[in-house]
Amino acid sequence: MNINATLLAQAVVMIVFVAICWRYIYPPILAVMQEREKKIADGLEAAKKADDSLEEAKLAFDKELNQAKSEAAEILEKANNRASQIVNDASSKAEVEAEKIMSSASTAIENETNKAKEELRQQMSDIIIDTTQKILGDEISKEKHEDILKKAAEEL
Amino acid sequence: MAKDVMTTETYINHHLTNLTCGKVGVNEDAGIYNSFWTCDPYMVDKMGFWAFHVDSLFWSILLGAFFIGVFKMAMPKDMNSNSAPSGAQNFVEMCIEFVEDNVQSLFGSVKNTLIAPLALTVFVWILLMNLMDLVPVDFLPVLAGHIAYAVAGSGGADGGGVEWITSPESFYFKVVPTTDPNITLGMAFAVFILTIYYSITVKGFKNFIAELTLHPFGKWLIPVNFVLEMVNFIAKPISLGLRLFGNLYAGEMIFILIALMLFFSSIPIGMLGFGLHLVWALFHILIVALQAFIFMALTIAYLAMAHETEEH
Repeated sequence: MNINATLLAQAVVMIVFVAICWRYIYPPILAVMQEREKKIADGLEAAKKADDSLEEAKLAFDKELNQAKSEAAEILEKANNRASQIVNDASSKAEVEAEKIMSSASTAIENETNKAKEELRQQMSDIIIDTTQKILGDEISKEKHEDILKKAAEEL
Repeated sequence: MAKDVMTTETYINHHLTNLTCGKVGVNEDAGIYNSFWTCDPYMVDKMGFWAFHVDSLFWSILLGAFFIGVFKMAMPKDMNSNSAPSGAQNFVEMCIEFVEDNVQSLFGSVKNTLIAPLALTVFVWILLMNLMDLVPVDFLPVLAGHIAYAVAGSGGADGGGVEWITSPESFYFKVVPTTDPNITLGMAFAVFILTIYYSITVKGFKNFIAELTLHPFGKWLIPVNFVLEMVNFIAKPISLGLRLFGNLYAGEMIFILIALMLFFSSIPIGMLGFGLHLVWALFHILIVALQAFIFMALTIAYLAMAHETEEH
């Protein structure tokens, strides 16, 4: 356990090893580590940026979607309104038309009925007079009994 | 020494003795007329300062190379590839991130590209060296002793091989480098040199000297200031080295003592030793990592101090 030249030898050996480590071992490993660290930091930042832009795009997308939805709803509502309006218009028109047709038809029927009645009355009175002449002969004439005839025709 | 029967004392001694190689100088009193290189443990006293703990240095360099190798292998082959890190690369990056955090917190804004690699090397290397403490205490020394004896032993009657390797036990091989004060103080010394270098280059020589002499009593007591600051200055690397050494040496010592319970006592005590060994090993993992971390943190702190210009 004497102190001897081993001490100096060890000091020299240590300086040699430290020099090797200093020159060839430490800097390259540290450089690789630092480069990787930078790369990871860059990657994280890029990921954050991408996240942010994704968020932005999502927001924009949502906004557009909502707008489109509301637009579509508006258009749909308009169309519905329009359609119901058209239907309403058409039905009211049809009702009016139908009423018109009905009234004109009933007027026509009434006219025809009246006409027929008049004709029928005329014929009836003719037939009655004919028949009466034949039965009574000359005792009765149209001219003489005009009043009676008229009365009868009115009664019919 | 351990030529005959192994006793408690020889066992402990064997574990605490380094394989020391050095040059034995001419010493006519001891009957040595030619200087020569040897690793003979009996010659250690005659080697003086210029001796080397070959085992400590061997493990230190091997583990340092292991550290460099693992970190080199873990690097992605293609530096520009986008592939996610996997396996060893994750581990390596975890270590680097840990070191970077510590350097950031202690060093702040000062730009110095050497500090982080230095801290990384110190941390991983000391951690690996400390971890050798968790290898069972006898495993590697006995293995090394047998290999040395088989390869170069002088056991035969013809006296071939290396003269002093007379048995596997005569070959010392200490496994944990950080239990050798030479290793820890050597590293602290290297840190100390760096501290001085940066003190001078960053602050300027004049400021550095001024810091050592004009503090804390002003310019009329320069010698007193110098003595005080010098103690402060020198104490840092010595405490840095001795702290690591002391913790690991004590840990190793306890492993050795627990191992003794297994070999030199009755079966119940041996069983107790077995349990204790497990408990101590688990606890020691904490010390291993903690001491490596403390050495690294203090290294960074001392170098940070060297970069700070104090206001007087």
